[in-house]
Amino acid sequence: MAAGGGAGNKTYSFKVVLLGEGCVGKTSLVLRYCENKFNDKHITTLQASFLTKKLNITGKRVNLAIWDTAGQERFHALGPIYYRDSNGAILVYDITDEDSFQKVKNWVKELRKMLGNEICLCIVGNKVDLEKERHVSVEEAEGYAESVGAKHYHTSAKLNKGIEELFLDLCKRMMETAQAEERAKGNGASQSTTSRRGVQIVDDDPQAATAAGGCCSSA
Amino acid sequence: MAYKRDLGADELSECVQDFYQNLSDRLHTHFKGSSERVESVMDEVERYMMTRLYEEVFCPETTDDEKKDLAIQKRIRALHWVTIEMLCVPVDEEIPEVSDNVVKAITDVIEMDSKRVPRDKLTCITRCSKHIFNAINTTKKEAASADDFLPTLIYIVLKANPPRLQSNIQYITRFCNPSRLMSGEDGYYFTNLCCAVAFIEKLDGQSLNLSVEEFELYMSGQVSPQRPQAATSPACSAAFSQMNESLDLLTGLGVRQERVMEGARRLESDLIDWRDGVEHKVQDVLERFPLEMHPAASPTASSAIDADNVENDHLPSPLQPQLFAG
Repeated sequence: MAAGGGAGNKTYSFKVVLLGEGCVGKTSLVLRYCENKFNDKHITTLQASFLTKKLNITGKRVNLAIWDTAGQERFHALGPIYYRDSNGAILVYDITDEDSFQKVKNWVKELRKMLGNEICLCIVGNKVDLEKERHVSVEEAEGYAESVGAKHYHTSAKLNKGIEELFLDLCKRMMETAQAEERAKGNGASQSTTSRRGVQIVDDDPQAATAAGGCCSSA
Repeated sequence: MAYKRDLGADELSECVQDFYQNLSDRLHTHFKGSSERVESVMDEVERYMMTRLYEEVFCPETTDDEKKDLAIQKRIRALHWVTIEMLCVPVDEEIPEVSDNVVKAITDVIEMDSKRVPRDKLTCITRCSKHIFNAINTTKKEAASADDFLPTLIYIVLKANPPRLQSNIQYITRFCNPSRLMSGEDGYYFTNLCCAVAFIEKLDGQSLNLSVEEFELYMSGQVSPQRPQAATSPACSAAFSQMNESLDLLTGLGVRQERVMEGARRLESDLIDWRDGVEHKVQDVLERFPLEMHPAASPTASSAIDADNVENDHLPSPLQPQLFAG
């Protein structure tokens, strides 16, 4: 659903799912990004499972909806219900926890199988403030991310490091994917899209053929 | 839409969704409405259409929605024994404010069935979710994540057993304005509800950290886990403790009855043994001392005792009882 808004001045709406095991810090990550809070003792935030953020990227308005998912093993089978129709996925692991990285690998496999290359994947090693206790090597993580066509980021919700970049980058990539899709539709190439209603968006400015330009489908 | 009565549910959904799409496109292009205005018009369109169509398209006969409703209802009933601890729900019902929110959440999810418009149904789910967040927040004192929320929602659904749950979910999926379902906040909570239902359908021992045997015992109703006295009112908790006492008494009674039966069986077998033993002994004795007929030495010898009693004839005849009429 990368649609919405008038033809010229349109707003992108993106759905991003947040995947990761229990204690990797998913919640801290989004809370830091959306409300700039960490371990806030005065709870003013009721929940961190569904958060939104409005952005303005190169003059285009973007509405980001971030869907947290239950990371416990017993809910693993429910994944597809959550990430249906999502534009991006943020897969979080804890750099001090090898298991959580393995879990990320499982999710990537599943996401690629279910959603193909239409979804932009971000693999995020959180808790870089605990660099001394690192158990997942940088080379391994980045190598893996590249091999599956995902981008890799290092973040620390505690120190507010790398988070802004992560989301900004993801938004840009999702916009590129959405634009490529619109062009494909404009050309009459009726590909199967995520939106089942065949949204007809008439894009005025003819963006020349730079289809493979850094969008996430180019691994 | 009377002439479309024969259509299947998917075709009906397709018709309505196409209409939504076309109308919203028109509003955008012809009337140059802003996104917000178009959205509010679309809300009213949905309200009008679905209120009128509800009777015909909710749980239509062409689908097996009703069967699914009954199946999930039965399933939830069979799972009545699932506790907060098994689901790892981060909610402490001992706190009055929390249990209050739990009750409200249950009421909201049940109320969903009474609404006609898909969006109103979604609002019920959202309200239910907010109460859940309140409950989690009061217990944990931190913002609730999906890791907390989903187990709690599952718990609420199990407790509420909302009427026509599957029909409602199908109805919303088919006839709600898609933009709301896919990315909005309401959509998020609705998705979680779908997850909760999927989890309940597939739930097994492993997903509650129980062994297969334990799960089977609970499901067959032979065992029920020790419930903490998590009642909403004192009267309720008194009733619960009374019930538990009665259950204990009954169990004790069962054990004692078993013992009595055991004793009776033992007595029976003892009796049989005794009879056999006596028979055996008698047989034994009979064998050891067989009945020997001694030839009578003199037939008169045996009657000699009376023979001497010569005065017999002189005895008076025995007295006969006589009846005197008094």
